Amino acid sequence: MTQPVLELIGLSKSFAATQALKDMSLTILPGEVHAIVGENGAGKSTLIKIMTGVHQPDTGTIRVEGQSVTLRSTQGAQEAGIAAIYQEPMVFPDLNVAENIFISNRAKGRIMRWSEIYAEAESLIAPLGVKLDVRRAASGLTLAEQQTVEIARALSLKVKVLIMDEPTASLSAHEVARLLDIARALKAQGVAVIYISHRLDEIFRIADRVTVIRDGQHISTKPVAEVTEDGLVKDMVGRALESFAVKTAANPHGETLLSVKDLSRAGVFQNITFDLHKGEVLCLAGLVGARRTDVALSLFGIAPATDGSITLAGQQVRIATPQQAMDLGIAYVSEDRRKLGLAMPLPIFANISLASLKKLLNPFGLIDRAAESAMAETYRKRLAIRSPDSLIEVGKLSGGNQQKVMLAKWLETKPRVLIFDEPTRGIDVGAKAEVHAIIRQLASEGVAILVISSDLPEVLALADRVLVMREGRQVGILPIEEATQERVIALAAGQATSERPAA
Amino acid sequence: MTRFLTPWETGLLAVFLATLALNASFAPEFLTVQNQINLFQLHIEKIIVALVMTLVIVNAEIDLSVASIMGLSAALFGYLVNAGTPAGLAILVCLAAGLVAGAVNAVLIARVGIPSLVVTLAMLIGFRGLARVLVKDTSLGNFPTWVTDLGQKGLIGPIPLSLLLFFALLILLGMTLHRSGFGRQVIVIGTNAEVARFSGLNVAKVKTVLFLLSALISALCGLLYAARLGSVRGDTALGFELDIITMVLLGGVSIFGGKGSMVGVFLSILIILNLRNGMGLMNLTGHIQTGVIGVLLIASVLLPNLLADFRARKRKDA
Repeated sequence: MTQPVLELIGLSKSFAATQALKDMSLTILPGEVHAIVGENGAGKSTLIKIMTGVHQPDTGTIRVEGQSVTLRSTQGAQEAGIAAIYQEPMVFPDLNVAENIFISNRAKGRIMRWSEIYAEAESLIAPLGVKLDVRRAASGLTLAEQQTVEIARALSLKVKVLIMDEPTASLSAHEVARLLDIARALKAQGVAVIYISHRLDEIFRIADRVTVIRDGQHISTKPVAEVTEDGLVKDMVGRALESFAVKTAANPHGETLLSVKDLSRAGVFQNITFDLHKGEVLCLAGLVGARRTDVALSLFGIAPATDGSITLAGQQVRIATPQQAMDLGIAYVSEDRRKLGLAMPLPIFANISLASLKKLLNPFGLIDRAAESAMAETYRKRLAIRSPDSLIEVGKLSGGNQQKVMLAKWLETKPRVLIFDEPTRGIDVGAKAEVHAIIRQLASEGVAILVISSDLPEVLALADRVLVMREGRQVGILPIEEATQERVIALAAGQATSERPAA
Repeated sequence: MTRFLTPWETGLLAVFLATLALNASFAPEFLTVQNQINLFQLHIEKIIVALVMTLVIVNAEIDLSVASIMGLSAALFGYLVNAGTPAGLAILVCLAAGLVAGAVNAVLIARVGIPSLVVTLAMLIGFRGLARVLVKDTSLGNFPTWVTDLGQKGLIGPIPLSLLLFFALLILLGMTLHRSGFGRQVIVIGTNAEVARFSGLNVAKVKTVLFLLSALISALCGLLYAARLGSVRGDTALGFELDIITMVLLGGVSIFGGKGSMVGVFLSILIILNLRNGMGLMNLTGHIQTGVIGVLLIASVLLPNLLADFRARKRKDA
C-alpha cells in the first residue's frame, strides 16, 4: 500500500462552548484528488485551518509522510508541504506574475536574478496547461488567472498537499473546466489535492475519493465511483432532502409586469429586450463578464441605462436611483453580501428593517422599536433563520442565514419585481434548497422574478425561461423545455470557443 | 445598539467616579454648585460641538473645520458689531455664514465625493484665514451688555444659556443617533456606505445634513465663545478641533465609523472636564493637564486593542 502523504488522526477542536471537530480522522494519498463535502458549519473551515497551521488541534496527531508534525503557522504548514488556495485569491496587483509567485519564497536569497526567476515561473505555469505571461502585472488578471498564480506559488514551495477551498465559487463554466484540468495536472505531478466545494457535479468530475463531514465528525470516505449525488446529500444533511429544487407545476403566466426594450448602457451592455410576467422566474445565464449584473443594476437604478425603455405595469418609467426603483416595487438582492448586501456588525433586526425604515417611524421620526423587532421576528420564523433571536450580529451567522436576512430585508418592501443575483453562491445544500423553495413560493404568489446565476443546474431547476447573455449582448431566450445545459453553454460561450477577450 | 452600557462605557463610568472622588477629597470647594457650573462653562463651546462631531464620526466622516468656523463666526460678529451693525442682526448673519461654510463642505464631500479629511482640512486653513483677515492683528470687543450677559450670567438661576443648550442638544442628538430613523441611517452609512446605497438610503442627503448641522452649531458656539470672553481675535478657538475629536474618541466612538454612543461621549466629556478642573484646583499647569489627557487618549485607543488581543490569545490557548 502506498504511504499516505497526510494523515489526520483523532483531531478534536473546540472554540469556547462549541465543539468544531470531534475525533476527526482522514488519510490523503499522494496524487489523489480528495473531495471534502459538508454543510456550512460542518467543520470544513476548522479542518482547513488546522491543516494549514492557523489553528492547533486540542487533541490528535497530524502525520506528513509518516512523520508526526506540529503545524504552528501557515509558514510551518508550507514547510511541511501543505498549502491552500481560496475562492478569493491573494495577489499583489502592482507586482507582476513571477514576483507574485515567488513573493513568500525566501529560498531565492537577497539578490534577484530576474532571468532565472522568469524562467522558473514559466516552468511552474507551463505544466498546468495555462497560457500566462509571467512578466505582466497582476492587476488585470481574472479571478481564474489569479488562482493559477496562487497554485504556481504553492508549487514553487514544493507542496505535497494542495487544499482548494471553494475554488470555483466565482468562476464561469469554462474557467471551472480549466481549473479542473489544472487539478488533474497537479495530480499527474504527484501532488495530492484536497478539493472542497458545494458543487457536487464538480466532485464527480474530478475527485478520486470523497469524504463527508457533518457536525464536526467524519461520516464517510468512499471512492467517488461508489457514491451517488443523492447519497452524498443524504450523508451531508443527515436526512434525505425531498428534492434538490422543488419546482411547482408549470406556472400559469400572469400579465406582463415588466417590459424591457432595447435597454443599453453605453460601453457595457446593448439591446436587452424581454418581458417579465407576474409569477414568472426568468433566469439570466451567461459566463462571468457577460454583464448580467450590469443589467440588474440598471433596473435597480445604481448604474442607470443610457438608452432603451423600461415599462412597468403598462407605464413607461425612468429609474435613476435605487429609491426610485424601490418606489416602483423593484428590489435587488445583491450577490455580494459582505460589500453590498448586509451591514455585518449590526444586528439582524437592523438589517431586516433597513430598506423599510420609513414604515417604522412615528411622527417625531423615531423608530417604533416594538414594531421593528416584531418585523424581524416574523421573518426569522417564516424564513427559518437559525439564530436564537434577532439581536445577533449578522456577521456571526452562516452564509445561508445571511442570505435569508438579506432576502427578508427585500421581502419587507413588498416588491413586485424581485431580482436575485447569485442567490445561492457559497451557501450549503440545505440552505440552497430552502432558498429555491422561497423563490418558487414567491413566484407562485405573483412576484415577477429575475435570477442571475452562474450555476447551470440551478438555472434549469428554477427558471420558466432562460435569457442567455454574452459579452453585453442578449444571444437568446429559451423556454425551459428547450433549455438544456449544452444549449445554454453553447449560446453563452459563442460558437467558436475563442480566447478570453482582453479585459 | 441594544445594551445600556457597553464594557467601554462601564470603564468610563468607573474612571469618572474615581476622578470625582479624588477631586472631592483634594479640594473641598470642588462639589459646590458654582464650581460644577464653572467646570462646564470653561469648555462649554467645545463640548457642544463634540456632540455633533459624534454623529459625524459615527457616519465615518470627520469635520476638522469646526474650530475655524467658530473662529470665523466670532470674528465676523466682532467685525459687524464694530462696524455698527445691530448685534441681533449680526448674530443672524454669523449663523447664515456658518450654514454657507457647511454647504461648501457638504457639496465637496457628499456631491463631488472628496474625502472629508481633505475637504475640512482645507477649510480649517481657509476659514481661519478669513477670520484673521476680518480681525487683523487686534482684538475686537465693545459688545452690547445683553450679549456678554447671555454669555456670562445665569439664565435660569445660576445656569447660563450655553449650559442649557448643551443638555438640550445632548438629549436631542442622543435621541437622534440612537432612536430615530435618521440616526439609524447615520450608523448604517458609517458601517458600510455601499450597503446603505444598495438599500435605497440617500447617502448624500444624510452627509449633507450632518455637515450643515456641524457648521451651524460651530458658528453658534463661536458666538457663545465671543459673548463669554467679551472680545474676539483672529486666533479665537484656534486648535479646538483636536480637543473636540479627543472627547469623541475617548467616548468609545470608532474613528472608522458605525460604532459609538452619546452616553460614552457624555462620560468622556465629564472625565476630561473633571480631570482638568481637578488638576487646576491642584495648581497643575495647563501643559501638564494637556499631557495627562494625551496619555488618556492613547490609552483609549490602545486598551480596546490590547483587550481584544488578550481575549483572542486566551481563546487560542483554550
